[in-house]
Amino acid sequence: MSTPDAALAPPFAAEVPKPGLLQRVSSDAGLGIVLALPVVILMAAFVFVPVALTAWDSFHRVTPMLPGEPFVGFRNYTRMLSDPAVRNAWWNTWFYVAAAVSLELVLGLGAALLLNGMKHGRRWLLAAVILPWALPPVVNAMVWSWIYNPHYGLLNGLLMRFGLIGEARVWMNDQASALICVTLVHVWRMMPLNAVILLAALQTIPRELYEAAEVDGAGRLKTLRLVTLPLISGALGIALTQSTITAFNIFDEAWILAKASALTRPIQGQIYMTAFQDLKFSYGMAMSITVMLVSILVSSVYVLRIYRETRFD
Amino acid sequence: MSGSGSGKNDKTPNMELEMRFSDHFRARRCVLGLPLALSAALVAAMAQAEEITVLLPGGGYPASVIEEFTAETGIEVDQQTLAWDQLHTRIITALVAGTAPADVIELDWSWVGQFGAAGWLEPLDDVLDPSALEQVSVLPIFQAGGKTLGAPYNNDFKMMVVNTAHLEKAGITAPPTTVDELLAAGRAVKEAGITEHPFGLPLSVGEATSTAWYLITMMYGGDLFDADGNPAFTDPESGGYKALEFIRTAVEEGLIDPASTAYGNPEVREAFKAGDISFILSDGPGPLSTYNDPEKSAIAGQSAASVVPNVSGETRTYGLPEALAVPSASGSKDAAVKFINFVMSKEMQENVYTLDGTLPTRKDALADLNAAGTLESGDAIVAQVGAVGPLFDGGTPPWYPPFSNAAAAAVNAVAIGQMSVDEAVASIARAAEDARAEY
Amino acid sequence: MTALHLRRAGMALAAILLLIWSLGPVYWALATSLMKPTDIAASPVNLVPPSITFEHYAKLVGGLFGQPDETGIWRDFLRALGNSLVLAGGATIATTAIAAIAAYAAVRLEFPGRNLVFYMIVATLAVPGYTVLIPLYRMMVGLGWVDTYGGIILIYISAYLPLSMWLMRSVYESLPLSIEEAAFLDGAGRLYTMVRIVMPLALPGLIAAAILTFLGAWGQFAVPLVFAPTAATKPLTVLIPEFATKNYVDYGLINAAGVFAMIPPALVVIFLNRFLLSGLMAGTGK
Repeated sequence: MSTPDAALAPPFAAEVPKPGLLQRVSSDAGLGIVLALPVVILMAAFVFVPVALTAWDSFHRVTPMLPGEPFVGFRNYTRMLSDPAVRNAWWNTWFYVAAAVSLELVLGLGAALLLNGMKHGRRWLLAAVILPWALPPVVNAMVWSWIYNPHYGLLNGLLMRFGLIGEARVWMNDQASALICVTLVHVWRMMPLNAVILLAALQTIPRELYEAAEVDGAGRLKTLRLVTLPLISGALGIALTQSTITAFNIFDEAWILAKASALTRPIQGQIYMTAFQDLKFSYGMAMSITVMLVSILVSSVYVLRIYRETRFD
Repeated sequence: MSGSGSGKNDKTPNMELEMRFSDHFRARRCVLGLPLALSAALVAAMAQAEEITVLLPGGGYPASVIEEFTAETGIEVDQQTLAWDQLHTRIITALVAGTAPADVIELDWSWVGQFGAAGWLEPLDDVLDPSALEQVSVLPIFQAGGKTLGAPYNNDFKMMVVNTAHLEKAGITAPPTTVDELLAAGRAVKEAGITEHPFGLPLSVGEATSTAWYLITMMYGGDLFDADGNPAFTDPESGGYKALEFIRTAVEEGLIDPASTAYGNPEVREAFKAGDISFILSDGPGPLSTYNDPEKSAIAGQSAASVVPNVSGETRTYGLPEALAVPSASGSKDAAVKFINFVMSKEMQENVYTLDGTLPTRKDALADLNAAGTLESGDAIVAQVGAVGPLFDGGTPPWYPPFSNAAAAAVNAVAIGQMSVDEAVASIARAAEDARAEY
Repeated sequence: MTALHLRRAGMALAAILLLIWSLGPVYWALATSLMKPTDIAASPVNLVPPSITFEHYAKLVGGLFGQPDETGIWRDFLRALGNSLVLAGGATIATTAIAAIAAYAAVRLEFPGRNLVFYMIVATLAVPGYTVLIPLYRMMVGLGWVDTYGGIILIYISAYLPLSMWLMRSVYESLPLSIEEAAFLDGAGRLYTMVRIVMPLALPGLIAAAILTFLGAWGQFAVPLVFAPTAATKPLTVLIPEFATKNYVDYGLINAAGVFAMIPPALVVIFLNRFLLSGLMAGTGK
């Protein structure tokens, strides 16, 4: 994939000056606006305006049980800094983001490379790979909570059968194992997304490039590093970004495996409890605006980095 | 309704479909018809089209009940149902947005304080049928600021469930009625090797755990708060403190499965149905029929409800009933109230119990059913109903949710061994005071 | 030769591991769906159902085959299955089409604010659901769009468009300009070139975008929970949890419904795989 500079480059018409240049440019602009406008209106109505309204609320005290909605400035935001529950939820969330993003990237890339290299049965393996994503969330959660169930669960059952552990473990009682258990459920469900994105990108690499690399005597790893990865860098950026954002949004997995336990509660769980259970609505919304800004910030670090690294290839 | 598992989903989507189509048909005729026909059709549609929406957990009311209501009043009912766990999110979203989730909504006992303080619900004192006000003893649970906000339709309260076959095998003739007997019975069952962990108790960080702790507090004769509203569980002699010690020792002795720290009610119930637990300390009358259903349970015919043990000679428990309420933002309040009064009648409560097992809230309906012998574990239930009190004297307070969460977290931490009982009561008390300070 | 054999064996091993990882929990759902309620909670765990029952499946679809069923669950189930198909299918077609066009505009048509618009749309990927829930609900109620296919599909589009658009933009960027150049020299217009020449080349990207959107919309839970309150629009993801009541969780039924719910997405992928495969550069010879 090319760089943002390619996007910034003038369109084809400008490269080949012709008498009708001006006309073409302006008609391109017109067509561009016509094609983009419905999307802009849709996104404005369904996302931008609602986000702006929520941001507005976050500077007020919106607690339905208290009268009035006075302006409180940044108080909902500063309050987060001294709230130990929020801090704890952030730490858990950072763990999820780091662990889930790296696992999903490695597994997703591995699955995509494998699928791309397969000659037979690829469609079946691909269908199998996406199945986890197709399982309705509630069933997914139920299956995993039975797998982790200390008594009746598959995990303890298998580990004990093979003599790896002597007695049943309660996975949710220990923060390290609880966090890993929650992360695995999330990775299991979201990895297919990366596999599909990366597979589509791998499909666009011309076979000749591999052949050329082989002629040059490059090994598999070297080819991967020098040919494959740079060519799918755009897709890698997309995959990394979506994994990051979905990891910042982890909620169901933690909630169903360990309820509101502070050992695993992510920031989204904290938001749910604050805004929907305790009805401190604007405080919860201030948290959710913060999560949004942080996940944009973290993602843009990768995206810019990836674009910069691949610029001169 | 959430009364029982079976027969929950006898909705009639076909009927709804038909209604929708006939609405469309009516609308089309209006557009195409002559002006005269048009205005006549409009009048007819307006007279006829009174429709209310009802939002309930589980399968909602049986179709026959809805049909009967429509036949009697001409009001159509669009019944919407959601899983219990998701209902709260749906209702809060609509209410915070300033709209009515439906004309008649579910109101759980634990939401009353919040919804009342937010002014989201219509007071029902003047519109509810007087006989319902008189016959329903759990009504005060749904009062906030001196107003009745919900009509309790599903009588849920805490009681103990035992596996009678396990008790017999351990040589215990009658279910324990005191806490000492309970502990002795648990140890006897464990020593006899009948079950490895005789007591079932949810101990994960969730509502099931905090409500279990409240019940054990009552077993020890304690209350959560004193008359001034201050925490009454911090003193080592208090019921709440002893309840935490009970949980800690029971886990240490192996009377409670250490795995319970990951369990909510469903997991405890599965273990009971599998015959791995002999007592569910904190259960209710609702699931009994499931436990005794050979299709769903390996211990069918062995389970029975039993009154909550105590230390004072007098059994105590508290109610967690569900009510019907009318949001202030509803556009059809009169019709909504008609629906509530219809299902709150004695006959209808008895009818619904026989159809789907929703336990009546009316004393006269319960007495009728018990007399007719249709009430499962009837005597124990009737004995326990008499001892049902509210958990909070003035109705559930608005700060209940953060308090409940802090309690569940502390109980869980004690069971895992991360917190001492002293630390736990201190943390719950701190959370209660912080939460109250906000209002 | 041996190196090749080794590579083949390695790939086979990797494929098997990938299958176990993906299908292990799915197998568990399938096994649970075939177990009697009394066999589910067993210690030691039943790796294979001790006795197989189709009672849960009969409840879900038995009514179709004229089996008497007093619970009527099958009607709700089939209706929810239909709703899921309409919502996910509608969202997929609309999102993919819009993304294909809008991303083309973002790559090839120069208009003021183009990059700003694109980056802002992509940034909405990071908007958590709760952030927009309440204002969106107010708007949908005001417009009367709650409980309508159209309203819910529009929300899905706004949720899945950013990813699809970004994916499509990166696909278009990788296409050589020379192809379009040639089309223009032949006198083809912008729209014709976009639809007839560029989009076929971008097919694997479009298919990937469609798969992503379909799977995302198929598994959506939070949006329909709030915006699809009645049987008219309620999809499977919202119906299935209702099989767990306050007093009894029907694990067998829930898992059977979950196994059913996996079939349409699996079919979609098996069917679309062919187009995903169609090596982009095969005919273009860059």
